[in-house]
Amino acid sequence: MRPSTVLRLALAGSRTDRLRTVLTAASSALAAIALLAAVTVGSITTNDPNGPYTSQLLNEAGLRPGVLAALILLSIPVLGLAGQCIRLGAPARDRRLAALRLAGATPRQAVLVASAETALAGLVGSITGYGLFLALRAMLHRPDAAGLLPLPTDVWPAVLPAVLVLAAVPLVAAAVGTLLLRRVVISPLGVVRRSREQAPRPWPGVLIAVGLALFGIPNWLGDDVRIADEVLLLLLGSGVTVATVGVILGTGWISHVSGRLLLRLGRRPALLLAGRRLLSDPWNGSRTFAGLLAGVIAGAFAIGYRAMLSTEMLAYDRINAGAPGGLEMGLAGDDEFYLNAVRLVIVAVAVGVTVAAGGMLIALAESIVARRRAYAALTAVGVPRRVLSEAVLWHTVAPLVPALLVALTVGVGLVRLIATEIRLSGGEADVCLGETCGPDAALTHVVWPEVVLPVPVPLADLAVLGGGVLLAMLAVVGAGLLVLRSSTDLEELRAG
Amino acid sequence: MSTPHVLLGLLVNGPRHGYDLKKAHDERLPQAKPLAFGQVYATLGRLERDGYVEQSGQEREGGPDRTTYSLTEAGRAQIDDWLAQTERPAPYVSSTLFSKVVVSLLVADADRARDYLIAQRAAHTARMRELTAVKTTPGAGLGDIVAADYAIAHLDADLRWLTTTLQRVADLHREVHG
Amino acid sequence: MTTLLRAAELTRAYGPTQALRGVDIDVAEGEIVAVTGPSGCGKSTLLHCLAGILRADSGTVRYRDQDLNLWSEADRSRLRRTDFGILFQFGQLVPELTAAENVALPLLLAGSGRREARQTAVGWLDRFGVADLADQRPGAMSGGQLQRCAVARAMVTEPAVLFADEPTGALDVLTGEQVLNEIVGVARAQRTAVVLVTHEAQIAAYADREVVLRDGRVDATGLGIGVRS
Repeated sequence: MRPSTVLRLALAGSRTDRLRTVLTAASSALAAIALLAAVTVGSITTNDPNGPYTSQLLNEAGLRPGVLAALILLSIPVLGLAGQCIRLGAPARDRRLAALRLAGATPRQAVLVASAETALAGLVGSITGYGLFLALRAMLHRPDAAGLLPLPTDVWPAVLPAVLVLAAVPLVAAAVGTLLLRRVVISPLGVVRRSREQAPRPWPGVLIAVGLALFGIPNWLGDDVRIADEVLLLLLGSGVTVATVGVILGTGWISHVSGRLLLRLGRRPALLLAGRRLLSDPWNGSRTFAGLLAGVIAGAFAIGYRAMLSTEMLAYDRINAGAPGGLEMGLAGDDEFYLNAVRLVIVAVAVGVTVAAGGMLIALAESIVARRRAYAALTAVGVPRRVLSEAVLWHTVAPLVPALLVALTVGVGLVRLIATEIRLSGGEADVCLGETCGPDAALTHVVWPEVVLPVPVPLADLAVLGGGVLLAMLAVVGAGLLVLRSSTDLEELRAG
Repeated sequence: MSTPHVLLGLLVNGPRHGYDLKKAHDERLPQAKPLAFGQVYATLGRLERDGYVEQSGQEREGGPDRTTYSLTEAGRAQIDDWLAQTERPAPYVSSTLFSKVVVSLLVADADRARDYLIAQRAAHTARMRELTAVKTTPGAGLGDIVAADYAIAHLDADLRWLTTTLQRVADLHREVHG
Repeated sequence: MTTLLRAAELTRAYGPTQALRGVDIDVAEGEIVAVTGPSGCGKSTLLHCLAGILRADSGTVRYRDQDLNLWSEADRSRLRRTDFGILFQFGQLVPELTAAENVALPLLLAGSGRREARQTAVGWLDRFGVADLADQRPGAMSGGQLQRCAVARAMVTEPAVLFADEPTGALDVLTGEQVLNEIVGVARAQRTAVVLVTHEAQIAAYADREVVLRDGRVDATGLGIGVRS
C-alpha cells in the first residue's frame, strides 16, 4: 500500500474513532510534556546549593537523577493511558478493519492501518505537547524576590533528547497499539479474539522473587564489597522492574484463581457471571491494572522509604538527646528536605494512580459497551440491573484486592530489603561545642550511646494508599455502571 | 401430466393390479388429487398400447378377476428418460388465481378486487395452517411432510404474489386518483 | 379459555417515529398467536410492550388482570423472569457461561441452589435434544444449537407466556422448522401461551391465530398493506 492510502484509511473513522484519536493524542501530549520536563531537568548543569532554583533537588547535581527518575516514572502511566485509549471503541474499529480484510487487505495491512491511526494521533499529541510545554515554560517563569526560580524555566531541553522524545511518543504509542492487536485475528467476517488456551500459572511469582533478590543483592553484600555506582543502579533498577512485571503478570493468575473461588464459593448469580468472565479472560486484569499496580508499588516504596527516613531521624534525635551538652548529628542536610522529596514522589504517585484510574475507566466503559447486546438481552429476560452491576463490581474487585495487597507488599518489601532496623553505633569524641571553634578552642569529651530502632511497617499509611486506590477503583466502577445503565437500554436490542 | 410416469414408477418394484396401483398412488402422493379408477385403467391401457407395460397374469382373491401389470424394458427406459429430463421451470403462467385477479382488475373496481383478495388470502392462510398441522402431527410420515411442504411453499408463493400485487394496485390507484 | 394477556389502545413512539398507534390484542391461556406484518409495522415493539420490557406511552397491558404499565421496573423485571419466557433472534446467551449455566440462570436468580438448578437446566436441554452441549460455551455452537439452548432458557421457569421475536430468523429453513416445531410442541404440552413475532407466513401458520399489524395498528383485513388512499 502507498503511504497515502494507509493515511486515508487510517483517518476514515466514525465518531468513536475520532474520540479515541483525540484521547490518544491528549494522553500522548501529556506524556510528551512529562518527558520534556525530564529532559529539561537532565539538561541542567549547575551544582550550587545557593543556585538559581528554590529547591535543592534541582540545584544539586547529585539529587537531580532522582527528579529525573520520578518524571520518567510519571510518564509511564500516562503512556499507559494512551495505550488504553487505543482500545476505546474497539468494536467499531474492528468492524472497519474486518471490512478492509473483506476488500482484500492482508492481516498485516489491516494492522498497519490501525497502527498508523495510533501513530498519527501520537504524533499530533507530541507536537501539541511540545507547544503546551513551551507555553507552560513561559507561564511558569516566575523568579521570586531573591531571583530564585521555582522550576528550571531558564534551561532549554537539550535538542537531541527532546527530538528523540517527541519522535518516541508516537512510535511507542503505535507499538503498544500493534501489541494490543497482536492477539486479534482480523478475519474478513469480523473479529475473532484468539483466547489463550492455557490457564495462567503462578510462575510470575518467581519473577517477583527474582526482582526482590536483585534489589537485595547490594545490601546482602554489605559495605565490605565495593560495587560500582552503575552496577548498583542497574541491580536496583532491574530489581524494581522485574518485580513490577511479576506483579502485573501475576494478576493473570490471581484473576484465574479468584474466578474459580467465586464459582466455587459464590451462590449468587452475579458471582457466577463474574467468575466465568474472569476464567474466560484472566489476562484482562493484567492489561487494565498494569499502570495502577506499578503506581501502587512506587507509592508503597515511597511510604516505606519515608518510614525508614523518619526512623533514622528519630535515631539521631535520640543520640543528640542522650549526649550531654547536645550534639547536632543527623542526616546530611535539612530533615524537611528529605521528607519533601518523598512527598514529591508521593504526589507524583497520586497523579500517576489518578491517570491509571482514568485509563481503567476507559477500559471498563469499552468492555461494557462491547457487550451491550448481551446486557440488553439479559435485562429483557428479567435479569435485574442490580445483578449485572454486582457482576461488574466483582469482576473488577475480586482480582484487584489481592493484586493490590501483593503490590503493596512488594513495594514495602523492597524498602525492607534495605533495612528493617536503624543501628547507630555509640561512641565518644572530643568536640567543640562553643560558639567559636578555632584550632585551639576548648573541646568537650562527649559520649553517646548506641541506638537501635526497628523500622516500623507503616501499616496505617499503606492502608490509606490501598484504601484510597480501592476507593478510586470503586468510583471508576460506579462511573462504569452508568455506562452499563445506558447499555442495558432495550434500544440496543434493535441495533441488531 | 405425470400420472402415466407415476404409475410406471410404482411398477418398478414388481407387478401390481389396477386397484393396488390406485391405492399406492394416493398413499405416495397424499396431498395430490386422488386418482379415479377409470383413469387408472385408461392410463394402463395407453401404456400397454405403447409397449411400456404388459399384462403378466390374473389374480383372484374372492372377488372379481384382477389383471396384474408389469413393467417392460421399454417402460423402464421411458422412466429413466423421464427422470433424466429437466422440467422447464413454469413455462406458462396458468393459474385460476392469477386469471381471477387479472379479470377482477379488468371488470371490477379496486374495492372489489381487494375484497376478493382478502377472502382469498384468508382461505390460503387457513389452508396453510391446516397443512402445517398435518405436517406437525406426531407420527406424520415422510410422504405427508414432503407433500405438505410442497403445497405450503406454493401457497406461500401465492400469498407473496397476492400481497405484492395488492400493494402495486394500491400504489397505482393512488397515482391515478390521489 | 380465559384471557391471560390483554392490551388495549397501546401507543408507543421512538422519538418522532410512532411505532404503535393504538393496538388491541388478547392472548388466551395456552394459545399460540402469531403477530405478523411488514417490516417496521411495530411487531417487535408490540412484543416488548406485552412482555413488560418497554412501557407503552398510553394504553394498558393487563396480565392476569393487572396493569403492567403501572408496575415498577423491578416488579416487571421479576415478572419477566418468573411468568414470561423471552426468546430473540440471536445474541441472548452469555458468552462466558456454559449452556447449562445459561439455562440455569433464571432459576439461580429465583434463589434455587446450584445443583438443583443445573439438574433442571440439563433436563430442559435434553428436552430440546442438546443435553450433550451442557458444558459447552455458546461460541462453540451452531445457530440451531444456540437457539435450542435459548429456548431451553426461556422455558426453564415454565412460564405462562413465551414471547418469541423472529426466533428462527437466523436459521436455515429446515433447522428453523425443527426448532419452531419443538417450541410449539413443548408450549402445547406445557399449556404455555406463545406470542410469535414473524414476517413469514409459513412461520405464522404454526399459530392458532394470526394478528396482522400495519403502520402500528391491527389490520382487520389481514393483508398488512394499504389499499384505500
